[in-house]
Amino acid sequence: MVRIERPNEVDVEWSILDTGDGQRGTIVCVHGNPTWGYLWKGFLETLSPEWRVIAVDQTGMGWSERSAPRTLETRVAELVAFCEQHTSGSLVIAAHDWGGPVALGAVSSLDVQAVILGNTGVGLPARTAVPPLIATARRFVDFSCRRSPVFVNGTAAMTEKRHREALRAPYQSAERRTAVAEFVADIPLSEADVSWIALQKSANNLSNLDVPLLLVWGGRDRVFHDRFLADLLQRAPHADVHRFTQAAHLVPLDEPMAAIASTWLENVLGPKSVAEQSAPNSPSNDSFVAITNGLLSRANDDEAAFTDRNGVVSWKSLAHEATDIARMLMRAGLAVGDRVAMLVPPSSDLLAASFGVWLAGGVLVVADSGLGARGLRAVLRGANPKWVFGTSKTLTAAKALGWAPGARMICTSRFPHAVSLTTHRSSTAVELPELRPEFEAVVVHTSGSTGPAKPVRYRHGALGAQRDVIVESFTMSAEQGFLTSFAPFILLGPALGVPCVLPDIDVTKPAELDFDRFAQVIESSRVDVAWLSPASARRIVETANGRTTELRLVMLAGAPISTQLASSIAAVTGADVRSPWGMTEAMPITDGVGATTSVVDGTNTGKPLAGAEVMVLPLGDSEPQSLSIGQWGELAVHAPWMFDGYDQQWGTEKHSEFMLNGQRFHRTGDLGLIDAAGALHQLGRVQHALFMATQTVPCVLVEDPISTELSRQVAAVGVGPVGTQVIAVVVQAEGKLRLADARTTSQVRHCSSFEIAAVLEGELPVDIRHQSKVKREVLAASASQFLAGR
Amino acid sequence: MKVLVTGGSSLLGRTVANLLVARGDEVVCFQRSASGSNAVDVLGDIRDRDELFAAAANVDAVVHLAALVAPKAPWVDMVAINVEGTRNALNAAVAGGRFVYISTPSVAFHDQASVGVGALAADYSGRDGYARSKALAENVVRSESTIPTVILRPHLVWGPGDTQLIGRIVDRARSGKLVLPDGGRALVDTTYLDDAAAGIVAGLDHCVAGDEATTLPLVITGGEPRPLRDLVSSILEAAGIERMPRSVPAPVAGLLGSLIDRVWPGSEPPLTHFAARQLSVAHWFDQRETRRILGWEPTVGLDEGFARLRAAFATSSDSGHS
Repeated sequence: MVRIERPNEVDVEWSILDTGDGQRGTIVCVHGNPTWGYLWKGFLETLSPEWRVIAVDQTGMGWSERSAPRTLETRVAELVAFCEQHTSGSLVIAAHDWGGPVALGAVSSLDVQAVILGNTGVGLPARTAVPPLIATARRFVDFSCRRSPVFVNGTAAMTEKRHREALRAPYQSAERRTAVAEFVADIPLSEADVSWIALQKSANNLSNLDVPLLLVWGGRDRVFHDRFLADLLQRAPHADVHRFTQAAHLVPLDEPMAAIASTWLENVLGPKSVAEQSAPNSPSNDSFVAITNGLLSRANDDEAAFTDRNGVVSWKSLAHEATDIARMLMRAGLAVGDRVAMLVPPSSDLLAASFGVWLAGGVLVVADSGLGARGLRAVLRGANPKWVFGTSKTLTAAKALGWAPGARMICTSRFPHAVSLTTHRSSTAVELPELRPEFEAVVVHTSGSTGPAKPVRYRHGALGAQRDVIVESFTMSAEQGFLTSFAPFILLGPALGVPCVLPDIDVTKPAELDFDRFAQVIESSRVDVAWLSPASARRIVETANGRTTELRLVMLAGAPISTQLASSIAAVTGADVRSPWGMTEAMPITDGVGATTSVVDGTNTGKPLAGAEVMVLPLGDSEPQSLSIGQWGELAVHAPWMFDGYDQQWGTEKHSEFMLNGQRFHRTGDLGLIDAAGALHQLGRVQHALFMATQTVPCVLVEDPISTELSRQVAAVGVGPVGTQVIAVVVQAEGKLRLADARTTSQVRHCSSFEIAAVLEGELPVDIRHQSKVKREVLAASASQFLAGR
Repeated sequence: MKVLVTGGSSLLGRTVANLLVARGDEVVCFQRSASGSNAVDVLGDIRDRDELFAAAANVDAVVHLAALVAPKAPWVDMVAINVEGTRNALNAAVAGGRFVYISTPSVAFHDQASVGVGALAADYSGRDGYARSKALAENVVRSESTIPTVILRPHLVWGPGDTQLIGRIVDRARSGKLVLPDGGRALVDTTYLDDAAAGIVAGLDHCVAGDEATTLPLVITGGEPRPLRDLVSSILEAAGIERMPRSVPAPVAGLLGSLIDRVWPGSEPPLTHFAARQLSVAHWFDQRETRRILGWEPTVGLDEGFARLRAAFATSSDSGHS
């Protein structure tokens, strides 16, 4: 217990958790309501002993003294007094929930060097209702918060069982819960409330904050939801954000917030601030041509720009439509940098809408249906779009499922309260902004096949460079065009100024593209190039039955391709087949030459494209240095067309990038090697490697010889703890996971140079988007469970 | 070095004794009946302190393998042989100054799968008398020892001539009574006889004051876990049996075991709950520490082990025909 003294006020005793002296300084942690210092368990454990971490219990809360009711102003004054009387030197302040306004109220009176906030708020964001939980709690405040433990228990129930007893412990009787109720009653909702002015002061302090700020956010908090995050970011745009998509309110307890805070503090307060080093790639201005140029340059062209099941759209009409939409959006109030969630299904409307948004300076938030409804909601909420662009159908879904609360709606047809493309047209000319390379252009999402989908942010400079490298490396013809089974790739058409055909298939089911549909598109149009997902390629090959068709170039993208599949599609099309290596964060990186040449070591993806740099890093956290030719490791890339960063994933972004010779490299999580000829071989994912006692091996090196021998798809997964894993090989077969028959088992063991603990058979789980990436972590979990017995 | 090996008539005891003799150690085997090893036999009962002390006179080390393994033996016998017998052996080793105790991973078995774990605490206190008495004995050794002591837990030791594991499997398969829980899917590690013996000898060599091996129990296994079905079919193949075991759902096997535990009158029930559970869940171990500390690695392993087993079966059936 420590005593807080304030002039002309009665002293009050606070209970604190204090880790004692730390070399780096002091972190004062302020809980909200109705938690207490226990909330900062992770901080106390992780950040000490380097830091002195103090988690205080506010007056009347936790194990501190019960006393007369406190207003926000008093709580701020007490926190200031505590820091002045019981700490020395400059401080880091961490706060959560209603501790946020208290801490922010105090920062202007203290020497603070950094601020870390969990889910909190400094007032209701515009057009936001009072969160129902708070509204209810306030209406029945005495009952819900004091007389009964409803509020306390409800809060405790948000986290794991092991924390609940501790969270409830200080609030066992109505008497001990008095301050919990008073805290709720003190929440100012209007100017008439006592603490309104104090809350405005906290809000102002946030806006004027000139020290580093980290927001660690739970994306599934029902009280301080994502609109509060957007509001905080509007007040403090310099904040670094790390948002845990699936986390709820008690993010300091539920997520490794302390670990992120630790890395972050090192970054922003360390001897040489990495934040300064890693400024986004700023592509040189002189050569920059905006991504919209491909479309606009053919604005007078009556030739076909896009063809799908609904017919043909000419360059002229597409350009006209896009420009119209851009003007309309600007008149409706869209500003440069506004995010627009695209919920328009792949079609000419999607092209017009997307290029319209770009022309108006907006930022596309692309989330495809491959993420599933739940994933879609999570990523859309995380991106915080100001606008949602959809059809009446998708907007209905968005509204019903709460995908983008508070965002304004734009509809391709008519929709209540939405800006409508059919009714909001007007001929008044509006000047369109000039796009600059540093403008944010798009937020796309990783497939989520290896962990939660990550939001990937691109700037216009990178998009322009991406277009240029595709044009240079794959010689797309402006007269002929390409077809694609991978819906998002239709955006490439207008970007490149090359005609594009989307075959008549369900875009979420690329495997619907069979040979007949494929050949029909080729015969009825002038396309000479196809961008295919592996699932389409496999289906085309399976249904060709000896028939052939003719293409100049086939690009396979989305997942590693077997030599066999590449050769088969080459035989069907007579085309030059390429399977370039790339990822959502940087695409493409290699030329994809060599897809059909048989190799021993994984997938040959060709040589790095001019301008791209690839490093092969040893596994582990050592300094980045490239391994020599033929040695495998984790692949890292740099390219002018790479992404800008992970949106609101500060920790993930920092973990995945490093600077070398002034260039930003991205750790891809892919394993690979560069052979003597300079070609890059992809060997699967780092987390799919087999971490055995004597060696670590990429799964692909185990799988390849076996699948060749068996002529069946196989996956090798590690069973057991990392570092002492054993190998289980799963052979693709219909039905539930089971032990493979004796013959297959001995066949597998014989053809492998590795010790295979178990051979199983069963359906290999694949991702929704590509239908071809084997979800090895899912498979590893089920194989482990199977082999553990029961 | 002069070494006393208790339980020399067991397959593992005999193999350890022979290995020590072969490298030039002077070995005395102590057990109730002839060991059949190349060492000198001194017959006696480890429950008899005097007999044991007499046999251990002037030895430099005691390697203690003698134990009562019968699943349903009376608890008083379990305590007398496995706990008190171990205390006697430990005391007999004091003069020489080295004690190696052969335990079992079962001392840490709790019906749950052991997946790549190290040597866990010997806290078994369930119904299986053997595992319970071995756990008690391990704790006696750990708490009462005044000399350098190594505790080793070899896991499922098998090899030609093994009547415990191999013998039972083959007998039951021949009579069509062999069933495997869930088709034998659980991943199980085993130790080939000669590898286990070499591990024990390595343990003896590391049984000196200050050696890391004296500070914690070590599991010894071959490090090649396989689904139980694969192991059993390799054994049956080696024995020339074509009949494959039937499958029974693991929970059913467990229930059957429990039932038999309650009603079976004799000391050799066809199944116990403990055995059913052991066959239903995985047990394989993290061997990194063991191998680093002992500087030992298995050299025979599964493939070669099964080849030797096949050869042994072939020889015995030839001699049977003649």
